[in-house]
Amino acid sequence: MALIDVVNLSKAFGPKVVLSNVNLQVQEGESLVVLGGSGTGKTVLLRNIMGLLTPDAGHVAIEGKIIAQLKREELFKVRQSIGMCFQMAALFDSMTVFENVAFGLRRHLRISEEEVRSRVDECLSMVGMKGTDKLKPAELSGGMKRRVGFARAIALKPKILLFDEPTTGLDPVMTDVIGRVILDLKHELGVTTITITHDLKSAFEIADRIALLFRGECIACEPPDAFKANPHPVIQQFLRGDADGPFLQDPPPPKRKTKEAQA
Amino acid sequence: MVLTFIDKTGASVLSALDTAGDFATLAGRTFVAIFKRPFDGKNLLNQFQAVGVHSLPVVILTSVAVSMVFAVQLAFGFRQFQAEGLAAQVEGLAIVRELGPVITGLMLSGRIGSAMAAELGTMQVTEQIDALECLATDPIHYLFVPRFLASIVVVPLLTVISIYVGFWGGYMILVGVEGQSAFVYSHEFYKLLAFRDVRIALYKALVFGMIIALVGCWRGYRTQGGAEGVGNAPTSSVVTSSLWILISDFFLTKLLLV
Repeated sequence: MALIDVVNLSKAFGPKVVLSNVNLQVQEGESLVVLGGSGTGKTVLLRNIMGLLTPDAGHVAIEGKIIAQLKREELFKVRQSIGMCFQMAALFDSMTVFENVAFGLRRHLRISEEEVRSRVDECLSMVGMKGTDKLKPAELSGGMKRRVGFARAIALKPKILLFDEPTTGLDPVMTDVIGRVILDLKHELGVTTITITHDLKSAFEIADRIALLFRGECIACEPPDAFKANPHPVIQQFLRGDADGPFLQDPPPPKRKTKEAQA
Repeated sequence: MVLTFIDKTGASVLSALDTAGDFATLAGRTFVAIFKRPFDGKNLLNQFQAVGVHSLPVVILTSVAVSMVFAVQLAFGFRQFQAEGLAAQVEGLAIVRELGPVITGLMLSGRIGSAMAAELGTMQVTEQIDALECLATDPIHYLFVPRFLASIVVVPLLTVISIYVGFWGGYMILVGVEGQSAFVYSHEFYKLLAFRDVRIALYKALVFGMIIALVGCWRGYRTQGGAEGVGNAPTSSVVTSSLWILISDFFLTKLLLV
């Protein structure tokens, strides 16, 4: 049985269909990367997995438990086994870094403050943020916030980690740092991960399998090498990063010739 | 044209019922969540400080100002009938029964209700409330309950302070300016009052506290649309809670004075 089972998942907001009959299975310890253009439902997929949205049709099951059918207390139990890393970190801005990472520990585990401190230090070390525990989120850069968000997500030792566009808006060097942190977490913790990203370099480093969402449907879900070799025109266009092709619904503006080409 | 009118009216009624239902559901969930664990004492104390201690200056200043203005009006009005002695009695009645709780409620809806809406609204649009959910924490229990408890305790306490300050505001005008006897003022202020009037004032303050916290948290929690939504949430919270404070004041007065 797959650890995460997405079955015929459909979700629409008013007339706009965001996900249509999406099927994905993620095995324990596996790392799935979900690619796709903006607005193709990648974040909506993660929010359905977390139970933050209710599917219109189909379901998401974690360890065989159908998320949308769980009572609130049962859902909270399942969520304790999932760490969610938000696109903009979503740190609690009234708290320090330490309080952010300690939040789940203090609420769900009956452990001493000494143990909380030790676990927070451990988590911050894993993401390379040791010594920042007294800072407030407003004092951190974008990349630092994401890493503190990772530390908060792993504090409760989850079985599953979900990353929602962890590198969006970061410079290439910080993007690489975040990619390495995700890889380290994957290897050190042995967790199952689903990562949504636009960054192909880190996607191929992280992924055991890569899925591509296109107009609400999952058109491929295969290992990185097979994904690269897939002849589907949408996949090839996405990998090339070219505006010309079937990926965009509206045709792109014509490409201007460069000065060298004109000469 | 008639059909369009009926259509629009129907849609408005349904929308209003939908909004009222949503508020009632969240209010009900707040009442239920009060008894859930874990109890977050630190969070509650922070709210007591934000709602109570920081609101003290504004309540004192407005109570002094309103009671002084009211005393000036009463002194002027009763002088027309050579009945200046009644001014202190009416001042006492008005401050304890109406001005104390209503002024405190309206000021706090502007000060703390709007702050709650802005804070929760910002948390909503920056996904902090989703983060709470993902950390297996009920936002109603974590965010609504401490604010609600702080409000229902602090608004009655501040109302008592407002009444006390109101007494001295009237004293400054009627004794200090109008030259009435201090002993007579102190005696007359309480002459028309019974303990029931103080109890009514506290009941009103309790209801106003509930309205302020629930409306503020509800408006913030339902914020949508980024910066514009966060900007609208406090305004909408103040307007809604002020309106409900005045409406509920009428019904509470009718109900409790019978």
